[in-house]
Amino acid sequence: MTTEEDSLSRLVTRDQDHECDGFGPSTVCVRVVGIADLPTRVGHFRIVAFWNNRDAKEHIAMIKGDVVGAAEVPTRLHSECLTGDVMGSLRCDCRDQLLEGLKLIESMDRGILLYLRQEGRGIGLINKIRAYSLQDRGLDTVEANLALGFRDDERDYAVAAHMLKSLDVSSIRLITNNPNKIKQLTQYGITVSGRIPHVIPPNEHNRFYLETKAKRSGHYIDTAGKPHLAEQSDEVVVEGMRSPTEPPIQG
Amino acid sequence: MPQPDGEDRVVVVGAGIAGLSAARALTAAGRSVVVLERARGVGGRCATRRIEGGQAVDFGVAFLHGREPEFLAALAEVPSSAIPGWPSDVHGRGRPCQPEAFAVAERRVAFVDGVAAFPRHLATGLDVRTGARVTGIEASGSTIRAAIEGAEPITAGTVILALAVEQSLSLLASLGARSAGLETVTALLTMMQTQPCLTVIAAYPEEIPGPPWHVSYPEDSRILQLISHDSSKRLDPARTVMVYQAHPLWSRDHLHLAKGPQASSSGPLPGDEHDATAAPEAWITALLAEAARLLGPWAATPSFVQGHRWTHARTERGSGLHAPILLRLPSDAPPGPRVGLAGELFFPGGGASAAWVSGVQLARLVLAEER
Repeated sequence: MTTEEDSLSRLVTRDQDHECDGFGPSTVCVRVVGIADLPTRVGHFRIVAFWNNRDAKEHIAMIKGDVVGAAEVPTRLHSECLTGDVMGSLRCDCRDQLLEGLKLIESMDRGILLYLRQEGRGIGLINKIRAYSLQDRGLDTVEANLALGFRDDERDYAVAAHMLKSLDVSSIRLITNNPNKIKQLTQYGITVSGRIPHVIPPNEHNRFYLETKAKRSGHYIDTAGKPHLAEQSDEVVVEGMRSPTEPPIQG
Repeated sequence: MPQPDGEDRVVVVGAGIAGLSAARALTAAGRSVVVLERARGVGGRCATRRIEGGQAVDFGVAFLHGREPEFLAALAEVPSSAIPGWPSDVHGRGRPCQPEAFAVAERRVAFVDGVAAFPRHLATGLDVRTGARVTGIEASGSTIRAAIEGAEPITAGTVILALAVEQSLSLLASLGARSAGLETVTALLTMMQTQPCLTVIAAYPEEIPGPPWHVSYPEDSRILQLISHDSSKRLDPARTVMVYQAHPLWSRDHLHLAKGPQASSSGPLPGDEHDATAAPEAWITALLAEAARLLGPWAATPSFVQGHRWTHARTERGSGLHAPILLRLPSDAPPGPRVGLAGELFFPGGGASAAWVSGVQLARLVLAEER
């Protein structure tokens, strides 16, 4: 048994009676409740299960290396997407983002991927599928999207912040294309010492991002004509893609 | 420049919790608000009636629950004796219509005067017109005209539909306006639906003690979903009163057979006078027989019985949206009138708490856009 396993395993005992005032507006408090080895196709990780005092959502951390007490730990936040992560949906890029995130972390000495059970950025599976259904009929409006739960500003990072505190990391380097995430985590007392861009390699399914005219009314339209919802709070960046902030090329 | 007639007015259709909370927030902000309600009283499914002897009976929701601090603060202002924690004695292992009502963080409350004390309190100081059934809404220029059965129409710059989703859809269809927003919202609402609930109020002779619990969710009944020991909420009740609520599926199967007073998603409608001398309808007898199977023979023979047909009683748990909707309609007189939608389906969690929050949020949207 290696030392990092010991330091991680100790968290379960440490958290047995943990109860704090909680993080964020909903005063969410989490406990580390289970830790195990998890060999994956991408590499060998340890998986950490969290309990929380607000709902029945079982958040997860995928851990590479010795993170307890470590500084500048590469960290990725991933929002659950059943259709993409599990079913391999091509309506979003979640599976690529998840796998590339895990691969990136695996390639480093240490790292964390927080898998947050906030389906479709918190809108829930039912409403996400309703949104798909509207899109299938060519219907897509701000009013409906707001009612379905899509928000411009991002969801509450309180749970993620508490999870990182529970893992006892002293600072992180956030793997993201969205600098706003850094601000939100910082607000909850997490030291973010840097940012690592999250660039996914081009493949036959995301090649349309590389085409110049692709972005239309805030969405990228894929080759099947489906708008891609931004189901992670990150802008998708595919290697070789023009920066999303650059003005679109006309014509 | 003088405003065209009614442009500054807000008409709220439906005086349930969502409509009243929206109207209250808008009135507090100084807006001119008219609430139109087709039933005789306010509250929608927060419904209480008095049976002979004046004893209050809740025949819609049996209790209120929530965890939103603003909602709990609103409940705390109700000028009636609250019964915090009711129901605390829960019997049976059936599935509650809203299992979250019994989650640790959730606060439950009933009122000695009945749950309708809450909507009555919300309606205080508002311009609420009961017995006013809106038959259609029509967009014209910068306003919307609400047609009312047997009364003069009212025009408003903003109309809020705080109704069952099916009723809102039928009014949206009457608008005669077309826009991408309206088409999308219509498609979205068509994916949602409400469920009926056939309900029986049964009052028993004095010597019947009633069961030793507050509510029961029978685990082995395909007919009754909830039995509320209503008289356990009253101070010195003259008699035992039980309220029997049928499962959605059973209710749907028997709704077309039911004739008794129609409660829709609002309270009793005008003209729904109860004929106490008539023999109970078959569906009422069936619910009483099931109650007797579950509770004992005494339950089959109440001294007073009344049925209510709630055609839009419940929403499926977890099926709700996240926020109310406010739509600007296209107009040759920009910016055009607005239609808002609120109700328990327009905030996560459902129930009176979600209805209340959605109404408040919709009022904020209405006010924010005007600044």
